[in-house]
Amino acid sequence: MLNNSFFYFFTLSLFKNRKRYFAIVTISTLVIFLLSSVLFLSDSIKYSINSQLELEPDLIVQKRLGGRVVPLDESIVDTIAEIYGVSQVTKRVYGRYYFDKEYSALIFGVDFLDEQSSKALAKLLNREDLKRFLSSESMLVGEGVFNYFKSHFYPKAYNFLTPSGKIKSVKILKVLDRRSNLFSNNLIILPQELAKEILGLKSNEISDIALNVPNPDEAANIQRKLEGLFLNAFISGKREMQKEYENLFNYKGGLFLALYLIVVMTLSLILYQRYSLANSLEKREVAILRSLGWSIKDLLGLKALENIMLVLFSFTLGLFLGYLYVFILKAPLLSELFLGKNLQTQIEFLPHIDYLSLATIFILYATTFLSAVLIPVWRVATTEPKEALS
Amino acid sequence: MVVVEQLNRWYTIDKKRHQILKDISFHVKRGDFVLLRGVSGSGKTTLLSILAGLEKPSSGKVLIDGEPIAKLPDIHLSHFRAKKVGIIFQHFNLIDSLSLQDNVLVPLVALKIGLQEAKAMAERALKSANIAHKSEAYPTKLSGGEKQRGAIARAIVADPPLLLCDEPTANLDRANSLLFIDALHKLHQEGKTIIVATHDPIFDAIDFPHTIIDLKDGQIV
Amino acid sequence: MNPLFLNNQVIVYLFSEAALLALTILLFAKIVKFLWFWDFRSYSNRQLKLEKEAYLAMTIATLLFTLKSVLLIFFVHTIDKLSLIIPGAMCAAGVISANSYGMDLLFIKLTVIFTLLLFLIANSYDLQAKTYPLFRFKSWVLIIASGLIFIEFFLDISYFTHIDTSTPVSCCSALFGNLEGANPLPFGLDITKLLLLFYMLYLGTIIALTLETKTITLLTLLLFGVIAYYGVVYFFGTYIYELPTHKCPFCMLQREYYYVGYLLWGSLFFGLFFGVIWVIMSQVGYNITKAKWASMLLLTLFVALCSLYVAIYYSKNGVLL
Repeated sequence: MLNNSFFYFFTLSLFKNRKRYFAIVTISTLVIFLLSSVLFLSDSIKYSINSQLELEPDLIVQKRLGGRVVPLDESIVDTIAEIYGVSQVTKRVYGRYYFDKEYSALIFGVDFLDEQSSKALAKLLNREDLKRFLSSESMLVGEGVFNYFKSHFYPKAYNFLTPSGKIKSVKILKVLDRRSNLFSNNLIILPQELAKEILGLKSNEISDIALNVPNPDEAANIQRKLEGLFLNAFISGKREMQKEYENLFNYKGGLFLALYLIVVMTLSLILYQRYSLANSLEKREVAILRSLGWSIKDLLGLKALENIMLVLFSFTLGLFLGYLYVFILKAPLLSELFLGKNLQTQIEFLPHIDYLSLATIFILYATTFLSAVLIPVWRVATTEPKEALS
Repeated sequence: MVVVEQLNRWYTIDKKRHQILKDISFHVKRGDFVLLRGVSGSGKTTLLSILAGLEKPSSGKVLIDGEPIAKLPDIHLSHFRAKKVGIIFQHFNLIDSLSLQDNVLVPLVALKIGLQEAKAMAERALKSANIAHKSEAYPTKLSGGEKQRGAIARAIVADPPLLLCDEPTANLDRANSLLFIDALHKLHQEGKTIIVATHDPIFDAIDFPHTIIDLKDGQIV
Repeated sequence: MNPLFLNNQVIVYLFSEAALLALTILLFAKIVKFLWFWDFRSYSNRQLKLEKEAYLAMTIATLLFTLKSVLLIFFVHTIDKLSLIIPGAMCAAGVISANSYGMDLLFIKLTVIFTLLLFLIANSYDLQAKTYPLFRFKSWVLIIASGLIFIEFFLDISYFTHIDTSTPVSCCSALFGNLEGANPLPFGLDITKLLLLFYMLYLGTIIALTLETKTITLLTLLLFGVIAYYGVVYFFGTYIYELPTHKCPFCMLQREYYYVGYLLWGSLFFGLFFGVIWVIMSQVGYNITKAKWASMLLLTLFVALCSLYVAIYYSKNGVLL
């Protein structure tokens, strides 16, 4: 490599002509930057949702009447627990509490006598002093909820209004960890009995039942059994949820990408234009090289190397800037576009890069770039050497 | 060394044929010094560029060192140019973004010669063209005479047997023109075959043996 | 709208294929012109222009070869990822069999890469000569390559528009396993006979290549290709997965198996490619020893790799699957 005169000449000409490439590199880098930011962002969100989903129970049993989810009777739990291949059957109580028209939070009741099905919740609670939580009527709240309480002058406790019209005062025990805010931001965790009271459930009623199926091959089988268990049973699985999220993100990301194809097409037009207008200086240089014994093949090789370097350089630079923007600067503007502004979430974007996404950006960019410049490059490389004589 | 037989070159513009060269035939032996004379428009630049393989004839035969170059695929023609021919242009044609030494390297890159060896060859060529002291300089900083010597160094760096010069003194003053003729004389003595296309009367005064071909309206007179 | 068309990878894949299709159309037009007007002895301007355009064709073909190879890998990864949103699919095998176009598409992709490689090799020999002796031959190769690329694009579109994301597809063990008890192997072979044939055909190919007998080489290469495919899916693959029921040509491309599938399939395909290229090129008068050696080396690597997995499993567990 070091003793290769062609390579020496290549690096030399690349370096000496760097001004010529400035505009191309700038615009390409910008395009890569935009594209990679969007993909970094959507991958990161997808990743945190997926890692949350991993902690979710495998199957959920609900009762639905006319499409509405209605409370279940507790007694069914024992029947389910007897099905072979099922583990960690948990009664769940949850629902939405509307503080006012604009703001609502998810109330989640935990039963400490029961096995904790949701491993995520178990993790959150282990850190708290359980005894204190049980001894008094208190709650764990997400940061969004806490901020709402504070701004409405309830820094220590909040007075809930139950459906039967009673006022229920509950102390704030602790604000939940800021990590994985996507889920816990608007969450209130209460003891189950208290939650039932606030949500207006009877004491023998629960919202739904969660369970795990350790052997994934059994999942379909067990789902069938559960569906036959009682009238109006509705079973949903984790895999379906994953699929739904995947589709949702494909939809959001795909929309961006569809817009993006337009940008990339524009880029290819700009590149084609710029390369076609190859200035007379460059044509003259090529004519001189040809007259001194460079073949068309040599020149095509030189130009190919040159353009591959440009592609790699602007790709790396754009990617680096995209990473900086999303994970260091927390993607201002773009995150609002992506998540919606009124969602009161403060998301920690966990640096997670999907290599298939990187490959996707690279293939889109490299194909466009190289296809666009191919013909103009060939035209310059086949400049007649006799033009050097004039 | 050079055999040209029944060479024709014409352009067709709007179905009208413009004859540039007509039935040119001549031979140049190895080691000859040839002056190709004629006023501008007489076709001497076209003839020279055909001999250099920069342009293709419309019909006829051209043999350089036994190789028919009229119909040669680009790779072979380019290799022939790099190995067999050194060209000195009217406007010197140095690449402005490269230093003189790197300019001289250009034909050697085409010949795929290793960098170390190529640099040594370039150094030798610059020395024998008497311009080695400016090897790091860029063409824009050189005078006409210095550029011309740089161009000579580049033409001889791959040691080609044939040197072709196109109006080499057109952009030089009298003193530099005389120096250039001296340099050509030296190369001629070293055994190079040299063809100079010119209408500069300064060449009428050269005092070493040479052949003259006069061109008029694309024909030898 | 089919939700597949909102998947980033699918969009980019189809977009890239469309861009390459545009280049192929241009290439095709140029080649037709070459075949019609090319006359190397002519001094005409048109001939000079054609000689320049031959370099454009070469450049396009090189770019097509590079990007088509990259896109093939990308395609396999994409459909592997799609198994997440297609019910029933566990890996690429299920997705590729979601309709009847998938397998044809894969096969066409491989032949496209093969013809482009053949062109590139023929072209480099053509350029080394002084009279373009292979010009017509290499032009016809490109005509075939462009035709294949047109078909490929048609299959690309048909394949992705005919995937139904609501109907479950089969996973690889259902596709390749003999759940119904029927013998999936061709010519009524059983595993022992398949293996016997595998090693015999390998030896036959090497001998035929060494003796430089064109017809026999071609025959053994093609047969070996078929038998090797079944051999990997139904026997050697199970040793890669260390599971007698896991029969799949795709899963070995994943990280769990250290991407060994690329090496395995790559050495097989390129071994076959170079062998066939040697046969075709010697048919037009060029005995390319390099291609012959490359073929023997790659096929040997392939067979060694397959056997190694069995040997390692046996030495670790003392039994065969």
